[in-house]
Amino acid sequence: MTTLKNATRAGLTALALALATSVAAAETVVLTAYSGIFQENYMKAVVEPFMKANPDITVEFYGMPNSAQMLGTLRAQASAPQIDIAIMDVSVAKAATDEGIFAPMDESVTKHLADLYPQARAEGVNAVGVTFDNLVLLYNTDKVKEAPSSWNALWDPQYAKQVSIPAVPDIQGTTLTIITDKMAGGTDYVKSVDAGIKRLEELAPLVQTWEPRPDVYQPISSGTAAIGIGWNARAQVYSDLSNGKLGVVLPEEGSGFQINVIGLVKDGPATDSAKKFIDYALSPETQAAFTEQMFYAPTNSKAAALISEAALKRTAAGAMDKMIDINWLEVAKIRDSITEQWRRRVIPLSR
Amino acid sequence: MSAVSASAPPRQWRDGELAILLLLPIALINAIGFILPVLNLARYSFNRSRIGGGIETVFTWENWAGLLSDRFYLELVFNSVWISLAITLTTLIASYPIALYLHRASGAWRTFLTVLVISPLLTSAVVRTYGWIAILIDDGPVVSAIKAVGLPAPSLMFNIKGVFIGLTEILMPYMILALMAGFGRLDPRVEEAARTLGATPARTFTKVILPLTLPGIALGCLLCFVLAVSSFITPKLMGGGRVFLLATEIYDQAIVTLNWPLASTLSMLVLIVFGAALWAYSVVLRRLD
Repeated sequence: MTTLKNATRAGLTALALALATSVAAAETVVLTAYSGIFQENYMKAVVEPFMKANPDITVEFYGMPNSAQMLGTLRAQASAPQIDIAIMDVSVAKAATDEGIFAPMDESVTKHLADLYPQARAEGVNAVGVTFDNLVLLYNTDKVKEAPSSWNALWDPQYAKQVSIPAVPDIQGTTLTIITDKMAGGTDYVKSVDAGIKRLEELAPLVQTWEPRPDVYQPISSGTAAIGIGWNARAQVYSDLSNGKLGVVLPEEGSGFQINVIGLVKDGPATDSAKKFIDYALSPETQAAFTEQMFYAPTNSKAAALISEAALKRTAAGAMDKMIDINWLEVAKIRDSITEQWRRRVIPLSR
Repeated sequence: MSAVSASAPPRQWRDGELAILLLLPIALINAIGFILPVLNLARYSFNRSRIGGGIETVFTWENWAGLLSDRFYLELVFNSVWISLAITLTTLIASYPIALYLHRASGAWRTFLTVLVISPLLTSAVVRTYGWIAILIDDGPVVSAIKAVGLPAPSLMFNIKGVFIGLTEILMPYMILALMAGFGRLDPRVEEAARTLGATPARTFTKVILPLTLPGIALGCLLCFVLAVSSFITPKLMGGGRVFLLATEIYDQAIVTLNWPLASTLSMLVLIVFGAALWAYSVVLRRLD
């Protein structure tokens, strides 16, 4: 009896010791990025394989609904950061860089910098592109019988009051403004988007809602709306989940990119392990794996060769020549003026 | 220890001392949880927003001056106030008969009805708002029924009408509860006296019931007005991006555009509107007493 007790005690002590040492050895890196389906897929394709390859590092995914909340949290922790890495929209990352939240991004962080596409590197931002996404046309396959091929389908009167558009200040609305401006003959969106705004004035009376919730994909999948705009990666995932109800098209006129960047928080608690993760996230293999999982286009130029034809077709990677080069840092400067034009000229026409 | 406490006479509290001691914890919690953040917000409203969402810590009146000179924001304040007032009024009209009936009911029936009134509060406003969207949308049951009768189909969702209907329903339980709490002075014997003395039901209502229930009405209106001005989920979901209100604009500026100084300025403005509402409430109450 006593022997058994002693043995149990010894066993428990050994277990406790083992746990204690493993906890001491393992370092925890805190990563903040979008919650919801991004988190689900990023965990599967990137975080879990990374932890398998690096058993001494634990990555904790701290999901937040949008970049603004990530910036808010990073701001609040500025004096004692709890987060090591952030994946957020490039224009928000610029604000974070200006406030000194991110550490410089150089060869000491990742050796893949040279392989990244030029669009993934923005001047004055201490973070680099980790995913490329692009605006696409969404439609409900029951309500829209023939797959549309042009953005002009949004203006088709047969879908009147069935159009779902996330309006500015949401950047989906901003991207649509820039695309529309180019289609309407505008030459430089930084100087003026007047041509685009005029064309959007014609769209306004056909719009059902400028504020689709919880996002634009659900009302179109369910048939509450017939047609709309959204981001490609999420649309592709939701399309698979919708049993073919949600159709996704990259229109022939091309589109614009949305860029998520990855940045290292200055003076974070686990900087060395965080650098290891960033390097892993930007490697061609990881980039390829995430494209296969969620259809974001890779930012590492060496990744495309590793991606299956089927997955690549569902990203903008095959239509790079048709993409409008949107400089989001320039757009940030004209964002207030675009918002004002929408509010004074476009939205009032939809009442 | 016990010997000491047994021999010492019980401490005599001077007037006010105990009150201060009892109020201290809640005062502290309020100071840390409410006053400090509000002061911080007030400070933010004097900062400058950099392009792209950065914040420059300075002291400038720019945000305030910009707000007061921009027609869009002036309309925003005006719209928020009148829409909230109108919603408060429709909520009052819809809730008053229910509250009066509940006040007069008794026993298990009253309990059952009270539970029925409160039960919407057990579901989140977000869920109820989605319910309204399903009911009021263009090819939904309500519009289809109106069409079936042969009337022109109204557009009830993703505009101001939707916000009106949704917020009225969401605020009704609060209004009913506030009215019932204020109906304490309404004694059925007073009504009976009025009727015995020959007053018509209408006269009894305007001369006896209504004046006696005014404190409840004032309380319910204050509560619903404040809730209407500060609600943003329902206007966002049901307004379809066409209804611009203070609360939705604060959300956009804070979360989407990242202009925290402007969002803070707008928040302070809401606080000023609340202050005005409280002042109006206290004036009404004083008149009633």
